[in-house]
Amino acid sequence: MTDRRENDKNWIGRLYDWAGLSAPVGVILLVAFILVPVLPGDFWTEVGTEVLILGLFAMSFNLIYGYMGQISFGHAAFFGLGAYATAMLFRYFSGGTGEITTWQFVITLLVGPPVAALGSFIVGIFVIRLTGIYFAILTLAFGELIFFIVFSWYSFTGGDDGIQRLLPPAIFRDAAVYYYFTLAIVALATFIMWRITRSPFGYVLRCMRENPLRTRFIGINIKRYMLVNFVVAGTFAGVAGALWGPFTRSVGPLLLGWQEGGIAVFMTLIGGAGYFVGPFLGSIVYTFLNAYVTGFTVYWPLTIGVVILLIVIFAPGGLMGIIDAKISQGWFGLFRKKEPSENLNRLKTDEEAGD
Amino acid sequence: MSENRTHISDKKWDQVVKAMNRREFILSVAAAGVLTLTPRFVRAAADKPYKLGLLLPVTGTGANYADGAIKAVTNAAAEINDRGGFLGKHPIEISFRDTHTKPDVAAREARDVISRDDVQTIVGTYSSACAMAIQEIIHERKVLHLAATSNSSKIVNENYTPYTYQFCPNSKMQAGSVVVAVAEMIKKNNWKTFVTIGQDYEWGRDTQKQFVTSLAEKSPDTKLEKELWFKLGETEFSSYISAVMASKPDFLFGAIAGKDNRTFIRQAEGMGLFKRIPYPGGLISVTELQQQRRSIPRGMIGLARCPFFAHLDQPLMQKYIKMNIAKYGEDAYPTDWACMHYDAIYGLEQIINKIGSIETEAVKQGLKGATIDTCRGQATFRDCNNQLNIPAGYVGAVWDSPDYPFPIYNPDTMVIVKAEEVWTPTCDEVRKLQKNRA
Amino acid sequence: MPLDPGLLFVQLLGGLSRAMILFLLSSGLSLTFGVMNILNFAHATLWLVGGYVTFSVFSFLAVPLGESGLVLVLAILIGTALMVILGYLIERVLIRRMYARELPEQLLLTFALILIFGDLIKLIWGVEDRSIYFPIEPLEMLDTFVNPYYFVVLAAGVGVAAGLWWFLQKTKYGKIVRAAVYSRDMVSALGIRIPLIYAGVFALGIGIAAFAAGVFLPLMPMALGVDTDLIVQCFAVVVIGGFGSIIGTFAASLIVGVVYSFSVLIWPDGALAVIFLIVVMVLIVRPWGLFGTELRY
Repeated sequence: MTDRRENDKNWIGRLYDWAGLSAPVGVILLVAFILVPVLPGDFWTEVGTEVLILGLFAMSFNLIYGYMGQISFGHAAFFGLGAYATAMLFRYFSGGTGEITTWQFVITLLVGPPVAALGSFIVGIFVIRLTGIYFAILTLAFGELIFFIVFSWYSFTGGDDGIQRLLPPAIFRDAAVYYYFTLAIVALATFIMWRITRSPFGYVLRCMRENPLRTRFIGINIKRYMLVNFVVAGTFAGVAGALWGPFTRSVGPLLLGWQEGGIAVFMTLIGGAGYFVGPFLGSIVYTFLNAYVTGFTVYWPLTIGVVILLIVIFAPGGLMGIIDAKISQGWFGLFRKKEPSENLNRLKTDEEAGD
Repeated sequence: MSENRTHISDKKWDQVVKAMNRREFILSVAAAGVLTLTPRFVRAAADKPYKLGLLLPVTGTGANYADGAIKAVTNAAAEINDRGGFLGKHPIEISFRDTHTKPDVAAREARDVISRDDVQTIVGTYSSACAMAIQEIIHERKVLHLAATSNSSKIVNENYTPYTYQFCPNSKMQAGSVVVAVAEMIKKNNWKTFVTIGQDYEWGRDTQKQFVTSLAEKSPDTKLEKELWFKLGETEFSSYISAVMASKPDFLFGAIAGKDNRTFIRQAEGMGLFKRIPYPGGLISVTELQQQRRSIPRGMIGLARCPFFAHLDQPLMQKYIKMNIAKYGEDAYPTDWACMHYDAIYGLEQIINKIGSIETEAVKQGLKGATIDTCRGQATFRDCNNQLNIPAGYVGAVWDSPDYPFPIYNPDTMVIVKAEEVWTPTCDEVRKLQKNRA
Repeated sequence: MPLDPGLLFVQLLGGLSRAMILFLLSSGLSLTFGVMNILNFAHATLWLVGGYVTFSVFSFLAVPLGESGLVLVLAILIGTALMVILGYLIERVLIRRMYARELPEQLLLTFALILIFGDLIKLIWGVEDRSIYFPIEPLEMLDTFVNPYYFVVLAAGVGVAAGLWWFLQKTKYGKIVRAAVYSRDMVSALGIRIPLIYAGVFALGIGIAAFAAGVFLPLMPMALGVDTDLIVQCFAVVVIGGFGSIIGTFAASLIVGVVYSFSVLIWPDGALAVIFLIVVMVLIVRPWGLFGTELRY
């Protein structure tokens, strides 16, 4: 879908073709993320931590949405399960004193993803039987079911109270330290996800998205792949959830609701579902926009609603989609050689053709 | 009490309410953020401003209570700023954030106003779960927290932090007040069983628990037959109401607040619940009395937290009523939540004036065990948990008054329960509940 | 629990009224999805807008005409008409662009509408909730009290159900709508303008919702946040009953309403969890719902 001519591309252009848009954007983002705490005060660092954690959440969602082509409205349930698992073990460790050692802290973080994985496995077994709108609604229903269990099981989860007093060990209370810690974990998780999407497994997912029938014809067990992908996505959501609790110092049942899940969907949409780093870009835009807008008005839902509306109608490929399109059209002229080569396919201009 | 006073008609009252609710509210809050209320001429000479965070819900079940509170805080701040601000030289700047009645949003916004706007004090919230979520943050960041509506006893006991000061009678005190009234009625009517219905969230759970345990102490023979819980924002109570009637209890206790309270009372009345089963001690604050003035059953026994009509003799209350009427029109009487928030701001001012400084640590020390003037009279902060010892509850019967276009409690039978009668009896017990937070 | 006929009757009545509320709310959603294949996430939000609009009309009319049931009826009629127009506009300007798009994008558009209209309500009407108070004496029946207005709601629900059924089965327009469900191309080939049908169906769906909101005004307050609570229950109903089937929606509403009502007696905390459990089971065993067409699967 580009109007570039093969011969016109220089080496930058060819590199771009191979690596995709996500690579350069990813590198830029990584550098930007590393530099965030340089900004004065804790505010931007805290926002950055939020962007990273929610970005990971959105990335895990995109495994199901962008790569597999299904939309899941119950994804927040796994984010929440990870958060709650971590929070509950955290409370168990910090018990009387309210203090927790670094080792205990690490263990609580390690507990979140497996619980989320288990949850997504159980839910996954049921949801893979469906696709399309039914898949969407079933994931919504399961998400709400899990939400209600957490909400109603007052004696175990504290119900609406949530779980408070999630104070990480002393060094982690510094905003910058927690930020870099999060960045390390999120970067690792992202790397693993990137490898997954670039693997044969990842390509099968893309096949399933494009043409399920044909994929079945070449002998692939779609249900199994869907389940594995669902569990993987749920696990990464659990990682994000585990990081969230100690960050905000408390968790509540609303983390599992469909409106929280909507955040992941929005971020992915804004950034661009068709690109690997799309959700991260979306997370940056969404979180900063949120922080900025709530600073001077309460009408944040209206703002984000209009943004989503405009993107869905005019730019469904998200920001990455827009950037990609512009580059393809030779936006920066970066990819063209200095002197266009003699291209035999080119039509002669009027001048050359004579009159 | 004058008999000749004519009130504004229903229509005009609706307009008053509309004026209070829509225009002012939207104008002052819609463009919320950092509201700077200093008159211009003071600005030039101003020292560093005093930044205050205000965390209340604009959406959700608490919105109709929070409304009055937001106005109270902004008006009190404006009054103080007219004099140049705290100590005459620190104008108050308010950063308002909508908590959506969601604890994680509240936590995030608390972090936001502290990191971004550098607030020294946070006033809030409506929901007790939200208050507990922000307590973590204000404690860590050493920011003062003035609570004036969220009142689960956990806020001052289990979740205590020395930075939180509570201007509202906590749920144990409130439940205790109801028990005082209900115990009388139990003896008189020989009641044996009861059912509770409550909002399934922190405040509802805590209030119900406190009532049940306090009642068990006072009247151990009365049995709790059934507990009913509904989620916040429930709109259809018929199933719950009929479940209550099915159990045929001798009385019903309700832990319901906010918009749900209004819905519940309306629908219960429509189903004749109150005709069959006594419902003593439900929360009937000035908000309910004003908003449901036509439908609320007269004679119903309710509980309030800071009703203006119980303290008309207090100078601060008089001042507040006068200001409210001047701003919003005749018959614009402040709600409980408005008064308590007003107390919070003026309490803060009194301490700042006493110690002559706005530094947080100094103010925190100053507030400890301090005595301040409030709309409800003079009150002192309890040493061990920073609970203000204002009346624990006002129990009365809904009654039409010639002075107001809405009913109030019958002054002849209203009972004002003192804090010390019903709060956790000793500081030792309090400390046992509190975790160790220096 | 004493099996007291009065109690059972009241619970049943409560369940039925809840069922009618759900039906009135969900029938528009079911119709829209059945005919146009668009799942309107914002359906409950538009219902809420309808409620506020009807309330405003009522307040406006009450000034010269006083407050009475008749004025309410008038307000409902006007409110419904206004919302039908709004529904048509939304379809023309926004929904129409989405027919050719993928499902996720359609869902996201309607999701965004929830946020936009939710805040518009806040902007226009403020945060106070709206309800109408009619002093109604509870009726004494079978040794218990009932709110007579519930019978009005029942009548409204049954009336709308009957009306929709008659419209779809017996009138020419209804038959065209049903034909469009099966084959757009064929209907189009017969010279009937599909876009007009879609616009009409969408507007009708919104209109029914607005009518429902007006009817509920004396019963429950219109307040911010009620829409997000209700939309998931609507989905439950539409899924259980089957998209596009009015009978299905009606039956599912009855099931959900009555189950919820009796759950409160037995397991009050879990009433909604039970509903979702039913949804999950239906989706697993029979995804097209009780009365949906298997084609849709």
